[in-house]
Amino acid sequence: MKTNNEEGCGLCNATWGEYHRDIQGEDMFFCCNICADIFQNMVDEVKKRTGWNVIDRVELHGNYSSGRECTAYSGNNQFKYYFRTYGDGRMMKFEER
Amino acid sequence: MVDCAVCGTRFSRGNYGELATHFLTSAGKSDAPHVSWLNRNITRTRIDQEMLSGMLSEYYSMNGKGIKDWIIKNFVDHFRGPNPHPFILAMQSYDENVLRGYAIEHHHFLKQWIKSCSYVIAKTDFDDVQDYELENIMTELHGYGKDEPSHHELLIEMGESLGLDRKSILQSTPLPATLRAVHTWNRIASERTWIETMAAMHSLELVANRDLGRYGAKYPYFNPEILSGGKATAEVRAFLKEGYEADVSHSYVALDIIEKYCTPENLEDVQGSYLLSANAFSDYLEARLERGEMIENKQ
Repeated sequence: MKTNNEEGCGLCNATWGEYHRDIQGEDMFFCCNICADIFQNMVDEVKKRTGWNVIDRVELHGNYSSGRECTAYSGNNQFKYYFRTYGDGRMMKFEER
Repeated sequence: MVDCAVCGTRFSRGNYGELATHFLTSAGKSDAPHVSWLNRNITRTRIDQEMLSGMLSEYYSMNGKGIKDWIIKNFVDHFRGPNPHPFILAMQSYDENVLRGYAIEHHHFLKQWIKSCSYVIAKTDFDDVQDYELENIMTELHGYGKDEPSHHELLIEMGESLGLDRKSILQSTPLPATLRAVHTWNRIASERTWIETMAAMHSLELVANRDLGRYGAKYPYFNPEILSGGKATAEVRAFLKEGYEADVSHSYVALDIIEKYCTPENLEDVQGSYLLSANAFSDYLEARLERGEMIENKQ
């Protein structure tokens, strides 16, 4: 899955760390396991709400403080949402936009 | 000793090279707390040991000012700067569940608060320090009779006005994040020096300080319209107003005392203990939000 974070971690774009996780059958780089957990939970929630089998791309804008405004794409479909997590990665809020 | 702000590991004075190596080793293992701290405080871009050592040295540098100034600026960056803590953002509007969460979790904070203040008293003979902490304990937990209830009593009354039961607040079990923070503060107070404990605890009062705009604060502790609007209960207004007004003088007096007794020999220890406490406080503020969410979702 592609994201707009092209230099580093799939969630926050940081280039620290050496953490990898399989997301939708694809190896993705994250700076730490918490970013990977957040990303995985986000993907699962988007799929649950849209019924999509696969997400092609996600654009994420924001950070831990403000939460993240996102758009997910699957084929010709798109889904806009906002989410925020606790520091340990658990979902605090997820809202469709 | 220079401390790792995340785990408290101590390195010899001024040894930012070893601290940088410690962070690089932790980041190489993708250790989430260390990586997260680097991302939020130093840089999100991987750099080498020499460059990281220089940036850490700059982070801890006094830049010709005193420890008071350094703590205030660091605290503002952590909690009330352009990227404020989520709890600060939540307090920019009136949300009763957030305040209910505040009432429950803060009870546990205040119980630890007086223990930490007591450790300070026990570990020093300086009259001004002991006097300050005695007065603080009275204000925060004991109060001065019905006309001047303690901050703790005002907190409980706020919770009651929002439908919480006094007994349920007093007998509540703190959320894990609160418990972790309380353990950190208790460890600092029991194992470290009085001045480190003072810095660790009284720096946290800056969260409600109205005077931080000149240090770069972008957000008030809460939206002041809550005090004048018609939504908040009288008890909510009384609690917020008390903290809002009292903590300005409290936190500056404490920081002035810390600055008075801070020496080149204990400076890095004070910085390290403050940073450990600030991280714990961030965790704890999340617990207030989490408790509020739990109440909203009737968990």
